[in-house]
Order: sequence, then structure tokens, then C-alpha cells
Amino acid sequence: MKKSIGDNMIPKDWGFERGLDLVKRAGFDGIELWLGDVSWFEMTTTDTQVRELRRKVENAGLVVSNVSTGLHWASPLSARDPAVRAQAARIVERQIEAAVLLGTDAILVVAGLVTEEVPYNEVYQRCVDALKPLGDKAARAGVKIGCENCNSEQRFLISPREFWQFLNDVSSAAVGIHLDVGNIHDTGFAEQWIEIHGPRITRIHLKDVLKHRGRCGDQSVYTNLFLGDNNWPAIRAAMTKVGYDGWLIAEMEARYRYAPDQQFYDTAQAMDRLIAGRL
Amino acid sequence: MDITRREFVGYGIAAGAMGVGLRLPSSTHLPARTHYPCIVSPVQGQCSLPESVKGYCSALRPTAVTRRETWIVPAVVDIPSPIGKKLVEFLHRGWTIIVESGGGFAGHLNFRRHRRALRERLHVDVQAPVALWTDDSRSRRTPYVDYTWPSSAKVRDFSRVVPVGDQPGKIIARIDGLPVALKRQVGAGTLIFLGSPLGPALWAGDSEAKRWLLALLA
Repeated sequence: MKKSIGDNMIPKDWGFERGLDLVKRAGFDGIELWLGDVSWFEMTTTDTQVRELRRKVENAGLVVSNVSTGLHWASPLSARDPAVRAQAARIVERQIEAAVLLGTDAILVVAGLVTEEVPYNEVYQRCVDALKPLGDKAARAGVKIGCENCNSEQRFLISPREFWQFLNDVSSAAVGIHLDVGNIHDTGFAEQWIEIHGPRITRIHLKDVLKHRGRCGDQSVYTNLFLGDNNWPAIRAAMTKVGYDGWLIAEMEARYRYAPDQQFYDTAQAMDRLIAGRL
Repeated sequence: MDITRREFVGYGIAAGAMGVGLRLPSSTHLPARTHYPCIVSPVQGQCSLPESVKGYCSALRPTAVTRRETWIVPAVVDIPSPIGKKLVEFLHRGWTIIVESGGGFAGHLNFRRHRRALRERLHVDVQAPVALWTDDSRSRRTPYVDYTWPSSAKVRDFSRVVPVGDQPGKIIARIDGLPVALKRQVGAGTLIFLGSPLGPALWAGDSEAKRWLLALLA
């Protein structure tokens, strides 16, 4: 397994190249690029500029593990407004294009967003309908779309069997699950999600979660590895059981208030312990 | 009334030749022929919600019983003149025409076209779209459309509804008091205007929406 971390973790005033240097020195193998979440990688970033990002990543001794985005929170594939849906699809297409340019084969998509306004059944249908053609495009590009389980925030596909059925309905070999083991909260157990989805897992996001605390205002329930309630030995065993040997990508929501670079080192070391099974 | 599918397709071809962009009703658009034709026919390039077409087609599977000739125009924005004339002609021949508004998300300019087309072609007066969901929770409305004819039904709203103005006809649905659907006799036929799209609710599997539609066709 290889270790990666998101470029959105790079302290805002550091810049991309200095951030890459930190990621490498901390011991990561790759970096996850977040479309639209950082100034160096936006929807307006040209192909040439994307190739330049790849060059910088490779010069730092890293590779791009995957292309993610937070843009679908504002422009979901499940929106009622057709114009918003078209923009959401365009974001996925750009992720696919960028993944090819960056030499990686996976993207992360937050597939749907259940709200008071847009109910579950509509979100489900729209996401299935949207992901079928996007899956075809991804397959042609040799890229896999990983739909992230954002259980609490999306209020969508809360259980692993529900997610399994969803992927069956999309019915595309190029569409799987980008599993976030921290997002399951008290709705289940990450190790069971790993067992159920096995070969459909495109990438794994790592963070820990405080299950006994509900999300309240700006207070995060997410925390650093081994500080929360995830059963890490069980998670590691489940990865072995299903033969997952792909990228593990750190996604820390709570940041160190001081010495932010230290979080990169601590996280990389914790991931080493997880990979080695020394828990 | 003796309208056959062939006759309708013949019209569709003619409409296409006139460049009005009426999509030919394929077999999937003729889902229910139990007794009378029921045609779901989006105006090509003018249907703002493709899922609405799917919704009507899925609700009108072959098991559906239709006892009146019906032409459903889903999520329409503009109505080209030749299509408008055909709609009126079919109304006078006794058809039920369901015109579903696609104006809610059409944008300002397209909504003006929508409003003008409804007024000029079908003499239906509509008001500017109302966003039912706002960030201000105090101004939020109850998120259900209450249909009162032909049967009572409660169907989730579609975020932005197009209210109908004060005009001849019977109001058959309201949302929080706001009139959003109209029934009017035109010649021997019946015109039904839906200001809150029903098709997406059908497509999402809303059983009450389906019951309401089937009651209308029965």
C-alpha cells in the first residue's frame, strides 16, 4: 500500500511546491489533488498548467494518487436545476481529463446530496442517471470514478448494502466507491464496508472519528488517526481480507493549530503503523 | 374520436418538416394503449426536464388503463406556433392535453418566452416562478402540492413553481394556497396546465403522483 495526502492540507500561505517538499519529506508516496479547493488547480486551469502541476509533483519525487473535488457540494449531480446538474457533470468530466493528464486512474466524486428540498428518491435516480454516461467516459479514459461515502453530510447511501445496490444500479465497471473510513460515524463500521465493497474500492480515505459526538456547528467530529473510535486493527484486517493494496489517502479535517507541518509527519508515521499492522 | 398512432406519427413527420422540432413519439413514448392513445411528447429542444419524460413513460406502463385520448407535453418552455395550433386542434377534437410547465428553471429570458407562448397559444396566464425553498426558513412553504381533482393527492413540490393567474377554468392544485394547476374545457377537450412538474415525482417513484395521473386518464 502507498501513502498519500491531499494538497488541500498544505498550509494556505505555503504554495504548491513548498507543500510538495513537505509531503515528500514527511514520507508520503503521492499527493491527492483537489480540483477547485486550491488556487493552483481550478476549473479554469488549462491542460498545459495541469501538465505543469504533474511535472512539479514528479520533480518532488511524488506521484498523483487521485483527483478529488469538493465542488459537488455546491453543484451536486442531484440538483433539481438542470443547469446545476450540467455543471456538476462538467466537473466530473474535467476530473477525468485531469486524471489522464496527471497520470492517475482514479477520481473522487460526491455523488448526491439529499436535502430538505431535494428528497432521497430524486437524488438516487439522478445520480444513477448521471453516473452511467460519466462511467462510460471514465472507462474510455481508463479512469475509475470513486463515489465517496459521505454518510452524514450527504444523508445519502447510509448503509453499505444500500451503496452496493446503488453501484449495481449504475452498473459500470468504471464506477466504484472511494471509501472514507472516517465518514461512517455511528451508522456502522468501516471494516464491514471494506468487506462488502472489496474490489469496488477505488481509493481509501483515512481519518478517525469521534462517534460519541454529533456534528454540532463548526465542531468537527473528525480527528487524527488513532485518536478516535475507529477500530483500526479490524480495518487493517479487512483490507488484508479483501486484498486491498491500493492508495491510502490521509484526509484530516481538524488541523494542527500550531506547527501545521508536524501533522504531516505524525500522520505519515501513523499510516506506516497501520500498513505494517503494528497496532 | 379516431386518432391512430399512424396519424399522429404522420403529424410528427409533418411537424419535423416544418422545422418545429416536435420529437416523434417512439414506442417508448406510447406506453399505454389499453383503450385510447396516450402520447408523451416533449417538444424537442424545449423540454427543460428530460427526467419528466421518463417519469410519465414509467408511470404509463402497459398496465395503465387510459380511457381518454391524451397528449402529455412534459416540462415545456416554448411552444412553437405549429405545435400550439395542433394542441388547440386536438383539444377541439376532444383530447385531454396536459401541458407541464418547464418554466421554473428556464431563466429570465426563456421564462418570458414560456409565458408568452402559453398566453398566445393556449390562453393560459402564468405568473413568475416562485422559489419555494429559500435560505430564510420563515419564508419556506409546506413542500407539498395539494391536488384536488380528479382525485386528491399530495405530491412533493419541485422547488420552483409557476403559479397560474386569475382566469377562466378550475384551479385543481395549490401549494400553501398558491394556485399551481388549472383545468379548462376547450371545445370538446380538456386542457390541464401543471405549474409544478409532476414528471420528476413520477420518475422518483412517488406512488401518489402516479395514482393522480392514472385517475386523470381513467
